[in-house]
Formats: sequence, C-alpha cells, structure tokens
Amino acid sequence: MIIGNFRIELEPRLTSPKWLYAAVPAGSLVFAFIVGGVFLALTGHSPIGTYSSLISHGYTSTKGITNTLGLATPLICTGLAAAFAFRMNLFNIGEEGQMYLGMIGSAWAGIALAGHMPHVLAVLTVLIVGAAAGALWVLLPAVLRAKLGTSEIVSTLLLNYVALNLVNYFIFGSRGFFRDPTTSFPQGRGVEETARFHSFGNSNTYPTVIIAVLLAVALYWFMKRSNFGYETSVFADSPNTARYAGMNSTKLTLSVLLFSGALAGLAGAMYVVGPAGKVDPGLLQIGLGYAGIVVAALARYNFVAVVLTAILFAGLRVGGASLQISSNPVPIAIAVVLQGSVLLFALGGEIFRRNRLRIRRVQQVSVAS
Amino acid sequence: MGSHRLGGATLFALSARQVTKRFPGVLANDHVDFDLLPGEVHTLLGENGAGKSTLASVLCGLYKPDEGAVLRNGTQVRLTSPRHGLQNGIAMVHQHFRLVDRFSVAENVVLGHRSLPFRLRASDLEDQVAQVAERFGLPLDPRATVGDLSAGQRQRVEIVKALYQGAEILLLDEPTALLAPPEVEKLFETVRAMTQVGKSVVFVSHKLGEVVDISDRVTVMRDGRVTGSVARGEADTRKLAELMVGRDIDLSPRRSQVPARETLLQLDKVGLTKDGIERIANVSLSVRAGEIVGIAGVSGNGQRELAEIVAGLQAPTSGEILISGARVNGMGTRHVRKAGLAYVPEDRLGTGLAPSLSIVDNLVLTRDRGFLVDRKSALAEAEAFIQQLEIKTPHAHTATRKLSGGNSQKVLLAREIFAAGEDSRVLVVCSPTRGLDVGAVEAVHKLLDEARSAGKAVLLISEDLDEVLTLADKVLVLYRGSVVHEVAGTEVDVEAVGLAMAGLS
Amino acid sequence: MNSNVWILTFADAISIATTLILATIGAILTERSGVINLGVEGILLMGAVTAFLVGDGTHNLWFALFMSILVGVAMAAVHAILTITLRANQIVAGLALVIFGTGLSQYVGKPVEGKSRPVTIQPMHLGKLSDIPIVGPILFGHDIFTYLTWVGALVCSLYLNRTRPGLVLRATGDAPATVDAQGVSVAMVRFVHTILGGALMGLAGGWFMLARGTAWSQAATTNGIGWIALSLVVFAAWRPLRAIAGAVLFGFTLQVPYTLQGQQINILPPEIVQMLPFVATLFVLVALSTPRARKLLGAPKMLGQPFVRDER
Repeated sequence: MIIGNFRIELEPRLTSPKWLYAAVPAGSLVFAFIVGGVFLALTGHSPIGTYSSLISHGYTSTKGITNTLGLATPLICTGLAAAFAFRMNLFNIGEEGQMYLGMIGSAWAGIALAGHMPHVLAVLTVLIVGAAAGALWVLLPAVLRAKLGTSEIVSTLLLNYVALNLVNYFIFGSRGFFRDPTTSFPQGRGVEETARFHSFGNSNTYPTVIIAVLLAVALYWFMKRSNFGYETSVFADSPNTARYAGMNSTKLTLSVLLFSGALAGLAGAMYVVGPAGKVDPGLLQIGLGYAGIVVAALARYNFVAVVLTAILFAGLRVGGASLQISSNPVPIAIAVVLQGSVLLFALGGEIFRRNRLRIRRVQQVSVAS
Repeated sequence: MGSHRLGGATLFALSARQVTKRFPGVLANDHVDFDLLPGEVHTLLGENGAGKSTLASVLCGLYKPDEGAVLRNGTQVRLTSPRHGLQNGIAMVHQHFRLVDRFSVAENVVLGHRSLPFRLRASDLEDQVAQVAERFGLPLDPRATVGDLSAGQRQRVEIVKALYQGAEILLLDEPTALLAPPEVEKLFETVRAMTQVGKSVVFVSHKLGEVVDISDRVTVMRDGRVTGSVARGEADTRKLAELMVGRDIDLSPRRSQVPARETLLQLDKVGLTKDGIERIANVSLSVRAGEIVGIAGVSGNGQRELAEIVAGLQAPTSGEILISGARVNGMGTRHVRKAGLAYVPEDRLGTGLAPSLSIVDNLVLTRDRGFLVDRKSALAEAEAFIQQLEIKTPHAHTATRKLSGGNSQKVLLAREIFAAGEDSRVLVVCSPTRGLDVGAVEAVHKLLDEARSAGKAVLLISEDLDEVLTLADKVLVLYRGSVVHEVAGTEVDVEAVGLAMAGLS
Repeated sequence: MNSNVWILTFADAISIATTLILATIGAILTERSGVINLGVEGILLMGAVTAFLVGDGTHNLWFALFMSILVGVAMAAVHAILTITLRANQIVAGLALVIFGTGLSQYVGKPVEGKSRPVTIQPMHLGKLSDIPIVGPILFGHDIFTYLTWVGALVCSLYLNRTRPGLVLRATGDAPATVDAQGVSVAMVRFVHTILGGALMGLAGGWFMLARGTAWSQAATTNGIGWIALSLVVFAAWRPLRAIAGAVLFGFTLQVPYTLQGQQINILPPEIVQMLPFVATLFVLVALSTPRARKLLGAPKMLGQPFVRDER
C-alpha cells in the first residue's frame, strides 16, 4: 500500500519475539474495552464507572474472584475441548451441546449410580460418565469426519440445537427421570449428596477447579511429549506427511474429536458435582460452550493459556452480571460483546505478530541509459 | 529475423536497464541488462536461483524492480501488474500453469480479458478462441475441460491465452520441463510461427541443450548477474556451461563401482486400476543390491503411483512386490518400512517432511516412537547430520520450511538413507533434485551414489532424463503406466529413450 | 387433520424460505470467491435487531430494512478485513462474528425486549391469482420481498454463469493465482462479494424480523437459521437456483413444529419436534458427504484459503 511518499509493507518475521505473544492479546483486550465503551456511552452508561464496577465485582473483591473461579471451572474444560481439537485443525464447535449432554449424563450417574458409593468414588463416577456422555454426543460428527470427510463444523453445531431441546424436554416437556418429582415446579431431580463436592468455605468455588487446572497442565505435557501429541502435530501440519509416515488418520481424527467431546462433557459434569447438583436449565443461558471456543482461540490453543483466558472471561461474565442490578442496569450481554470483540481484535492482531510493519519512503526508480 | 534500425540505433522490443530486485536475504537481480529484438527468439539461461525467473517476472510486470527500468520499444514503462504488462503486449507463461481446471479451454482463454462484453455467450467465445489457435497452428478443442488435458495441451492453452490477449512478446518459463521430446518439437514450430509475424519469444531455461538450437541469442545469468550474451553461432555448449556455472562441474556419469549382488526389490507384473482407469499396467522390474535402476518418463505417466505402490501407500490391484524375497504388497507403509524400504517422495516439503516441524521432529517421523517421543537421541542425530552433510540451518530446532530446497532435501535423504539404519536396504527416490541449484544437485547425486556403494538397492524415478542417464545402471522408460523401454546404463541410445518417453517406440 | 392447515404450512414454508434464500445466496456469493463466512447467524441477528430498533424509532419500513443491509455490510466488512487483509483464520473469524453479533444484538435489543414489532411487511394480494384454491394461498399470498428474492436468485445465477465478472468470481474461488496473474485483484473480488453477501444476510435478518417475527426476543429470533443456511449452500451445490428448492424444503422443516404446536397435534412433544430442522439438516449433510455426491457438488477449490501472491 502506498500513501503519499511512503510505502507501507508487511514483512514476514522469521521469529516472533516472546513479548509479542502476550502483547497481542493484551492489546486486543484494550481495544475491546474501547469498543464496549462506545456502546456503553451510546446507551447512556458511563464506560469508566461500568468498567470499574465490572472489575471489582469480577476480579478484585474476594466474593468476585471466588465467583469467577467457580464459573471459570467449566469454562476451562470447554476451552481445553476446543483447543484440543483446533490443534489438529478440527473445528469442534459443538462444545455447548456436548456440555449439556455431560450434564445429563452426570446427573443420571449421580442419581442412579452414586447412591451406595463412597464420596470420592461417587464424584469420580459422575465426572467420568459426564465426560463419556459428551464424547458420545460428538461420536456422529467424528465418525462422519473420519470416514466421509464431512465438515465437522456445521455438524457439531447443529447438534447443539438438538441438545438444547433435549434438556428442555427433560425439564419442561416431560415428567421423566430427570425431573424433580416432589414439586410441580419444573426443575431437575437432585443427585445423591455423596456425588457432590462442597465448595471452599462459603464461596462458589469448588474443588473441581483444581481438577480443571491439573488437567490443563497434564494435557500440556502430554501433547508436547507423547507420541499421540507428536502424531497430531504432524497431521495438523501436513496430512500428506502423516499418511506418508503410515499414521492412521481415521483413528487420530476419531480420538481427537471424541476426547474433545469428553472434555466438554466434563464441563457439564463439573457443573453438576459443583453448583447445580441436578440437570439445571440455567446452564443453557450462559453459553460456556461457545465462550470456550473464544477462550481457546484467544489462548492460541495453548492449554496453560486457556486457564488464564478462561478466568479472564469468567470474570467478565461475573462482573457483567453484577451490572444488571444497579440503578441504571447494564445488560449482561455486554460481557458477550466484550468477548466477541477481544477475539476479533486478537485475530486481526495476529498478523502483527507474524509480520513486521514497515514504513518506507518510496524510492524513485532511476533510469540508467 | 533482422533488427529494426532507426537512425543507426537499434530499437529493442523490450529491454531491462540495470534492474535490481531484492527479496528478504537474497539479491535476486543485481543491475541486470537485457535486450530483446522484435521477431527474435531469445533464451535466458541460468541455473536454478540464478535470477532468470525473477528477471522474467519483472519484465512481465509481476514483480516491481527495486531499482532500474523496463523499456518497451525504447520507452520506459512502469509495469505495475501482469495486466499492465499485457496491455503493453508482454505475456508470461509460468512453469506451473495458471489455469482453472474446472473451466473449459475457451473460458480459461478469455478469463480476465477486459474488452470482453459484460454478457458472455459461450459459442461466440469458443469460435474466437478456435480462430486464434488455428492461426498459430495450435490444435485445441475450445469446449474441452482443462482438467482433462495433458501438460502439453495445457501449455497450448496458456499460449493461446497470451496470443488472444494480444501478446507481442511471450516469456516462457521452463517451457520444456513437462514435455516429451516430440512435444518440444511441436512447441518450437509454434514459436517459429510466432516469430514469422514479428512476435518475440523469450525462453527461460536451465537446460543447455535443446534451447540453444532454436535461439537467435542466449543471455546467461549467474547469481543474479548477467555473465554473458551471445548470438547464435558465437558460442558452443561448453562456453555457455562455463558462463552459467562459473566453474567446472562434474556432469560425467556415475556408475556402480561394485558388482551388483542379490535382488532386493522385485516387482512382478504389478498393476493398478483406479476409478476404472488403468494407472499402472503389468510392470515388472528388479533392483539388486549395489545398483541404481532409473525410471525415466514424462510427468504423469504413472511415476507417482508406481512409487506409492512400492512404498506401501497404495495397494496394487494385481501382481506381487517382494522386498528381500518377502511379499509385501498391500501391507501398508509401516510394514513395508519394517521390511527394509526407505522412500524419498517427489514432494519433499509437503509429504516427505512436515514443513512447520523442526529438523529434530522430522527425523523421528519414521521411527518407532513408543509412548513418549525420545527427542534427545534425535537431537544428537540431527546435529551430526547437520555437520556431516553441511546442512545450512540456524540450529536443529529450525522448521524445515525455513531451509532452502537443497538443505531440506538433505534432511530428508539423511533420514531415509542413514537414520533408517542397516536393515533398510531398498531406497525409492522420486525427482530428488527438482528445483535445486547446481551445488545441491551435485550433493544429492553424491549421496545417492554413496547409498549405492553401501550396497543399497536404489530405484530412482525422475522426470529429469539427464539425471537418470547420469546415475542409473539400468534405465527403464515409463509411458502410460507401462515400461516401454529397458536398457543398460552403458548402452543408452538417447534418441531411442526420447522416442519411448513420447510413446513412439 | 384440516387440509387448510397444511396449505398454510406450505405457504409459511415458502415465506420462511425467503430468509433462507437471501442468506444462502449471500453465503454462495461469498464462498464462490473463496471466502467462508460462518458468521451468518450473527449477521442475521444484527440485521433483525437493527430492523426492529430502526423501525421502532422511525416507523419507516424501508429505512429499517436499509439499515439492516448496512449493518450486514459492516459485519461482513469486519470479516473481510480480518480474513482477506489480515489473513486471519476464516473459521475462527466467522465464529467470532457469531459471538459478537449474538452479544451485541442482545445488548442493544435489551430495552425493547418483548415489545411487539413496530412495522410490518404486508403480504400482497395478487388479485385472482391469490384466489385460486390451494395454489393461490401457497404461491401468491406473499410479500414483495419473497418474489424479489426469487428474481434475485435468478439474477445471481445469470451473473455467475453468463457474465464477465461472474466468470472472474468463479475463477477466484477455484484458482486465485490464475486470476491474480491476469492482473485482477483477488482481494478486491473477495472483498466485494463478501460484502455483497453480508448485505443479503443483513436483509435476510431484517426481513425475518419484520415479516415473520412478532416481538423482539433474541433467543426466538433466528434460532439457528444461519447455520441451516450454511448447510443449504452445500445442498445447493453453490448454485443460486438450487438454493430456492432447498430453502423451501428446509423452510418446511422449520415450519412444521409450529404448525403441529398451533394445531395442538401432540404426536411428539414440542421440544422433540423443535429438533426436526436440525436433525433433517444433519441428515442431508451426511447424504451429501458420500464421495460421489461430493464430486457432483464441486465446492470452490480454494474455499477458506487465504491468497498470498507467491513472492518467495
């Protein structure tokens, strides 16, 4: 591009300095807050006041940060789920639905299986069944992708709507297994007490947060060191090379997608063993599955960075929720606006990490005779 | 064709004056001068990386020169795009054809032509295209789908396209690379038809032999500079070679120094039929320890399929493949590797190597890796190779796509020849020097020669006939999936091989 | 069961198809240039909420729809800048657009949540045609946009197959390097068609709000129609005329749950019936993934691939 006497060029960087990996997301955050601020101002809210309230309710107060960690717990899992698939260039965007199935599966286990089990075993069983249910929900798109090459993007997404209606059916549309029989008010049947974690102190943070963080670290190590991680990185980089080396792409695709679904299912299960204790339609309202995709993309599919981004995003949500109960209520959707903008800016900012911006004076073409 | 003189000064159809073009880390053109007369056939000769394609790209408007000027009929033109070049009557036919496979010949020819009407009528376009093709003796069906055409026919489409859009000067980048010898002769006829009506043609080539005959003038480039420009009859091949390479290189044949021993690779009546089309028909051959068997042929005659069958990536639909006497057909690539086969595919950076992964990670690609990947020993191995084979890289953790073609090929060959170990005794190599500069070609040939001397059985499949003739102890020609010619390396009759490649034996 | 009900269902299916056709053609134009815009759902929502808010403020139907188009253009422009200029991953950028559009439409629509629609696109009465039994109500009782949309699909098809820019567009999705070598700017072709596609998607959302919606409620507005439109692109094999047939078919699956509910026909619980359009779409996608079907479909070869001129 040439403006006046200057030529603006993007020149590929051979190596990106480390600080840029942090600078791009940080810059995106700033720009997103500016965009959000514009909308706040346009709708008659003070951006500064709103943001300072958001930050104190989301991060800096004790109640705020524990609420945030509590919400971040399932979000870490959906973020890991998205990142895990993305790393192999598979776009599982059905975390939302897989998470609902995780909730349904774990609630079933918590009601039907956990009765006579000791506490730890009961919780473990519930978590595992939830993960399995999540994996089951991605089985069809996974098989289609692995066997026929059907794009997993749309197929996983369509199943979100099916899962949504399934939860609605269990709670609102029927008086079946998952519905609390003791009341006519439509709500889920509670799982056994042994299948639930107690929160830390009086907070909304549950021990599941430790499991989620440990899982992230373990995945980080596993994908870096194991043969499985190696094979997925070869496959992601060049499917032809993977075929050349005799790797089984069907098996890899299936296992990656199923594991991704299991992680998303785990998010639903953690919601059950933690705050909900039942199939709770409240989960349908907060979009943790979709947010997980944003978290993963912003973390550039790095599992450890997913933890940090998930906490950041959960804080936006928690802080955003608190804004609704003020004299001049701000719709909680501002949190989603901020999330979407952060990702848009981060995507745009990537190019500055990969390329160097050069502004040069245009050289006059010299004619030698 | 004579030159047009105006008042004693020669009016060149196209000239470059002191053209300089830099790419990050490379000075591709260093103050280059070049002159083309109307009606002239002019060859731009040079090794890969000499800067001749860059110069051609500058001349046609694809690249903007950093310094210097392009003159058309003596007047400076600032070409901003290939489109702009075309408006000045300059067109380039690239080595990799830029055609839309799904379009018809006519659609491809007219694509992007701005004087087209808004509304298109297929029959009108087809008539126009047929007319142009006929005028220059280029037989083409304007209704045919380009995806179904052979390389030679596609090249014709590209040339017709340039002529249709009013090209006066045609730059052809490596035009003979994908053609069999008789097709080359056909191309030359077209070129003569063009020069007869005053159009000029520039051949961009690294092949000495064939283009010299047809050229009125040859300009030689090396390392981004012009090293000489000679008219027809002024220089012989040796002189040109010297200008091109700047030093003596050994292009004499390398033959086996040890007597060939037991047969390690044997194909017995191997065939492959896919989608109802016979890709490989009844191929039988054997390669013994300590010999190189070369397979020559024009690209697209089954080379790729044959290599993949032997490497276990595709199962043959008939016949037997034996490695060290054991039957391996249809057993998959891992099994074939265990049986002792190593494979250097044609597409080194998209198939043989994972481009974004490091040298270290690429060395473990064909190993047995277990649960955890052992990168420690691979790192030591990588560093040893970097030193022994003089692989130019910042370090062993550099992504292979950041290496030059020659260096990434060395990594691939190192893995397939040395890292594979003693038990790996059969080596299948496809077009190992495509796109490499002359130094790298020498290094690769030396490595293949070493593999042979070490007692490996090497199957060399290459579209570069010179390469096959230089290295092979036995030469086979593949045409439409069949072996149509077979001769010992010492008894090769080049003309007979050429005819066989064109399917005329 | 009353046969009138089914006539109305068919009529409604054709009506709903208007949104699907607009969005699908928008996506077809975008994808033919080699850009995949998964943000359809987000653009539809923004188009819908814009039509509602502007209609609420001005009570001017045409201005409301015009603003929907403008918002669609703006969102598609964001996608174009991200993916064409800045070469971001098209899939992720599209998803970001969905999330952004979902959040923003919810945010700006909050004050009018539950309010009934301010202006309405009225169906036309085509005289005697509309009075023909069965065929009349099914085919000739729609609003002007439905008919314009059909004409639009035809125009689009002629544009793609019979014009010079259409030829260039098709080539850009298949072989951008070829187009570039001809001196045509690949980025420009992609920009123009991505934005044109966004305009159609914005209109699709606006029309849906003012013709089919009743009150503003984000959850109930498009409800996955954007994703169905994306599947329709595959179903239509990237050809605008086939999109009409597909849209009517999918419109039917979208309408049936409401018909059943409205008629209190309880063969299946409403939640299960609501799954129908999505299950049907999934089923179609599966059927279209067999190798044979795929060959016939012919997706643009370079769909989703950023174009960078190979300058070493």
